[in-house]
Amino acid sequence: MRASNVNYLIKKGLSSVWRNFLMSFASFSILLVSLLQVTITVLLMMNVNIVMTNIEDTNEITIYVKEDASDDQISHINDVLRGNPNLADVQFYSKEQALEDFRKDMGEYSELINYLEENPMPETFLARVTELSEIRATVMAVQGIEGVEQVKAPYDFANALVNIKNAFSIITVGMLLTLIVVSVVVVSNTIRTSVFARRTEITIMKYVGATNGFIKLPFFVEGCFVGLMAGAASWGLTWFIYDAVYSLFTDNLTLWEMFGFFDLIPFGSVMWIVLGASCLVGALLGAVGTMISMGKYLKV
Amino acid sequence: MVEMKNVNVHYASGVDALVDVNLRINDGEFVFIVGESGAGKSTLMKLMMRELAPSSGRVFVNGYNLSKLKGNKIAKFRRSIGVVFQEFRLIQDYTVYENVAFVLRIADKSNRYIRQRVPYVLNLVELGQKARSKTHDLSGGEQQRVAIARALANDPGLLIVDEPTGNLDPRRSYELVGLLKEINLCGTTVVMITHEHNLVQDFGGRIINLEEGKITFDQTIGGITDEGE
Repeated sequence: MRASNVNYLIKKGLSSVWRNFLMSFASFSILLVSLLQVTITVLLMMNVNIVMTNIEDTNEITIYVKEDASDDQISHINDVLRGNPNLADVQFYSKEQALEDFRKDMGEYSELINYLEENPMPETFLARVTELSEIRATVMAVQGIEGVEQVKAPYDFANALVNIKNAFSIITVGMLLTLIVVSVVVVSNTIRTSVFARRTEITIMKYVGATNGFIKLPFFVEGCFVGLMAGAASWGLTWFIYDAVYSLFTDNLTLWEMFGFFDLIPFGSVMWIVLGASCLVGALLGAVGTMISMGKYLKV
Repeated sequence: MVEMKNVNVHYASGVDALVDVNLRINDGEFVFIVGESGAGKSTLMKLMMRELAPSSGRVFVNGYNLSKLKGNKIAKFRRSIGVVFQEFRLIQDYTVYENVAFVLRIADKSNRYIRQRVPYVLNLVELGQKARSKTHDLSGGEQQRVAIARALANDPGLLIVDEPTGNLDPRRSYELVGLLKEINLCGTTVVMITHEHNLVQDFGGRIINLEEGKITFDQTIGGITDEGE
């Protein structure tokens, strides 16, 4: 096809957006709402993951060393703990440090400690578990190290957190899939209504010898353009909503920090990715929705 | 040229729309196809523009074997004929110019050719002054002529016109057939489908009559307008 005729068809597609303004606006609105839901869900998922990781990071296990453990054994325990990929921030507390900390905790009763004949505090290690779902296996491994007396781990907390994280992942993935499927169905139905209103035009074109490609191109351009506009608008709205919610959490940092709400993603750091993805998905949804909806009107 | 050999069209509803039809329309002829409602005229037209394939038999139009024409070749075939529909089938929110020009776009003609050809065919049907009008602002007769201009845009060898006078008063009907005769004189084969026997008898020429899907009459008669001339 000549470039002049391709150019004509592209212009025709763009002018159709205004010519069929109401239908274009309906498709635009449906696409906008769908994209907005998907984008916000994705951003929410990313931030909840960060919060979960923050909470995970506060999780520690305590490793008590046997009373009669030799210096070599303590050194060996230290090496094994630091070599474990699921443990981080390994710290050693000597008997003396432990007693000193205990003395501080006792406050005005700390004098009582002076009556002890010997230091009863065990030597301990503290370590942070990086992958909570592996906490049992990690504790078992640590328990087996020669010289280790006992390992204390917050199993309940870890289990609850892992369960919450798993449930959240399933819910968000489910929500996202549902949203995408619902979006495609609603978008194609809206576009189908738009195409249906113009079925006579399509039939006339077929009767006078237009190829399917010739008929589809303006509709494709129109669908892409409406999708692109919806993507851009969805990006703007997401920015506005996200920034408002983001400032809620970041303005009162100390309060939310306790619950792991820190290091959240600022919109500025993902804005261009969100813009590109919204426009791309919008244009794709618009174009695919149009192509699906046109099929039966081309069989003349 | 149009040629049909032992053509039968049997609809799923059980109706035999055409029964053993044989006909040949040579290049440059003007043919009226007449018959009452349900006689098979529309089916014949659908066969000629390959909207329908025959249940059996063979159909040839402009050198295309329509009985065996593949789906991807239909568009090219349709660009070789011109069709004027009874209900005009114009794109209502296009201008007169755009309605004619888009057929040339379909045929992948250049902008320069389109700028020359569209005014030419619009002048042929005396609508040169209405090029910028929206189709829905025109009268029925004017819309009919836009449809004819659109059908002529690609300079087709064959022009099929379906019930063109159905929406026109008698004076306009005669003017229209006069215009089609002029087009025919320029070398275009014209097949006009109508149920108006009086009009046909007045103009004369080759007349094919259909009754219950069969050709019952195929002869050339002299018309009153011929005698007047």
